[in-house]
Amino acid sequence: MGRAWVRPPRVRDNILKYLLVAPAVVVVAVTAIWPLIEAARLSFTVGRLNRPGSLEQYLGWENYVWAVMEEPAFWNSVWVTAAYTFLTVALTTILALALALLLAPGGRLRSGVQTLLILPFAMSPALIGVSFRFMFNPEFGLFDAFFGALIPPLANVSWLADPILAFAVCIMADVWGWIPFLTLVLIGGLISVPRETLEAAQIDGANGWRVFRDVTLPQLAPVLAVVVILKSIFSLKTFDQIFMLTNGGPGTATQTLSHYIYFNGMKYGQIGFAASVAWLMVIPMIFLTYAYAKLVFRKDQAQ
Amino acid sequence: MAEVILRNLTKRWGDVVGVDDQSLHIRDREFLVLLGPSGCGKTTTMRMIAGLEEPTSGEVWIGDRMVNQDLPKDRDVAMVFQNYGLYPHMSIFDNIAYPLRVRHVTKDEIRPRVEDAARKVELVEFLDRRPRALSGGQRQRVALARAIVRTPKVFLMDEPLSNLDAKLRVLMRAELKHLSHELMTTTVYVTHDQVEAMTLADRVAVMKDGIIQQLGTPDDIYNDPANMFVAGFIGSPAMNLIKGSIKDGDFVTAGGRRLTPTGGKENHSVVLGVRADDIRISDPGEGRLDVTIYAFENTGDSTFLTVQWGTQRIIARGGRHLRKEQGDVVSITMDPDHLYLFDPGSGSRIRN
Repeated sequence: MGRAWVRPPRVRDNILKYLLVAPAVVVVAVTAIWPLIEAARLSFTVGRLNRPGSLEQYLGWENYVWAVMEEPAFWNSVWVTAAYTFLTVALTTILALALALLLAPGGRLRSGVQTLLILPFAMSPALIGVSFRFMFNPEFGLFDAFFGALIPPLANVSWLADPILAFAVCIMADVWGWIPFLTLVLIGGLISVPRETLEAAQIDGANGWRVFRDVTLPQLAPVLAVVVILKSIFSLKTFDQIFMLTNGGPGTATQTLSHYIYFNGMKYGQIGFAASVAWLMVIPMIFLTYAYAKLVFRKDQAQ
Repeated sequence: MAEVILRNLTKRWGDVVGVDDQSLHIRDREFLVLLGPSGCGKTTTMRMIAGLEEPTSGEVWIGDRMVNQDLPKDRDVAMVFQNYGLYPHMSIFDNIAYPLRVRHVTKDEIRPRVEDAARKVELVEFLDRRPRALSGGQRQRVALARAIVRTPKVFLMDEPLSNLDAKLRVLMRAELKHLSHELMTTTVYVTHDQVEAMTLADRVAVMKDGIIQQLGTPDDIYNDPANMFVAGFIGSPAMNLIKGSIKDGDFVTAGGRRLTPTGGKENHSVVLGVRADDIRISDPGEGRLDVTIYAFENTGDSTFLTVQWGTQRIIARGGRHLRKEQGDVVSITMDPDHLYLFDPGSGSRIRN
């Protein structure tokens, strides 16, 4: 009777652990680290797609200086992105929190249908962009007709042709798409708030608002912070929805940074310049990601 | 200071009955314990007094006011929760001060009152800490301080000691007893621990299946149980319950042994209840019935003998210095003054 298996060569634990994480490290290195480094290199070159050799033609900080000092379009997209991020984060968080309070166990709307909520989140942002574009079409758009009937002065408005309304539609589409996921996250957060603390506050004499303000909200704060940071990261990066919905227009009224980078890099062929703007965008991302990681991987989460 | 009156109080969730048409008059300044196994409706009853649960029918009165429609915050009760219910994001000081803050007590008044409450439960040096930095017993004391910092009409305590370890529980029990004497406020206390009920209560309401089985002083429920459930639930070890019949004034076991004189009418089916304390142990032949020892347990301050004849086993308490072996034969005699007879069907007490 021979042994059915061959004894594997002994791998010491301290080597094995590196072997086990190696595939993940390789994937991240190839798909995230290397493109980042390559983009950083390109950002210091002339980097024009239509000019051979320009990808190795170094310019120093010229691209960055140009973007910050000489490009009103860059600053336009910075402001668009900032406003877009602030408004979508604020609206999504507030609405998701309100919905979560209603839908959480013990809330007023608790029912079996909350799983349906996830549907909008299951839609791709590009699809959301397309569908909102159709719904706001001046001729056969559903929302266009709806808002027109509801608020008569808006009947003849061409939503996506007006800079402010187009921006509002972009925000509406984004908030609509993100509320479900954040609601689910917040419901989870609400469930983890101990019921006894809420009941204790009621008996101590707090009314509904004070129970929420003094007891629920502080205990929900860590989850809420994660929600805000995550949503900020996603809002800052918004591209596909804008691309399908307004393509940055009218003019540059809804041109976010991602869209600006895409246009300069792909449409105008200024890869070097686009890379420098992309790296400028990395700066706030790093802060947010760091804050997120700090919250999520916090060591002392003991109760 | 107020009495609490429950009138025909019922709580149902669909077909599940939590509390079944119960009435109870809790006197002013009384310490009343709701005692029963889990699921008996004791916590539900308390939560209806607090306003955390809405009665299906019936009335809750606190003082001279019917409070059914009042929110918990308007009932002027204080509650201590099983898991303490402390606010984890607030310091101990803020935890204790919270009931005062939401009631708009001025800042100048809050500090001395919080410190006074903290002194009563010996927590003064912990006021700056967070709840998670405290031990279970200390957290429980914070919950107590939060309850006594204002003078509510009623204290409600929901198994406040059951999350503590055995040693601490005995300590905190004495502290609670001391505190309740000092405060003299109407208190409703829920527990499944009969020792807590016996030691703390002025009166105990023993509950089962949503119904109060007996309401009485600890003495009453221990020495004069109203039915078989109360008899079996109160006391440790539990009262021996032996099936048999009454013939010629004697209790006869199912196996045909004449166990002890009980008096009373002929009855072919009764249950005899006798506490381990009321069984005298003597040498073989000297007592009423010779039995074999099935198990001998020495707890240090007393001994317990589980004895057997036929298929019947009962437990008797022996003296601290009694030493026996498994398999030894002893004789037992039951104290005829402390025997209880029950109807095996309904469980109700048969009184002669």
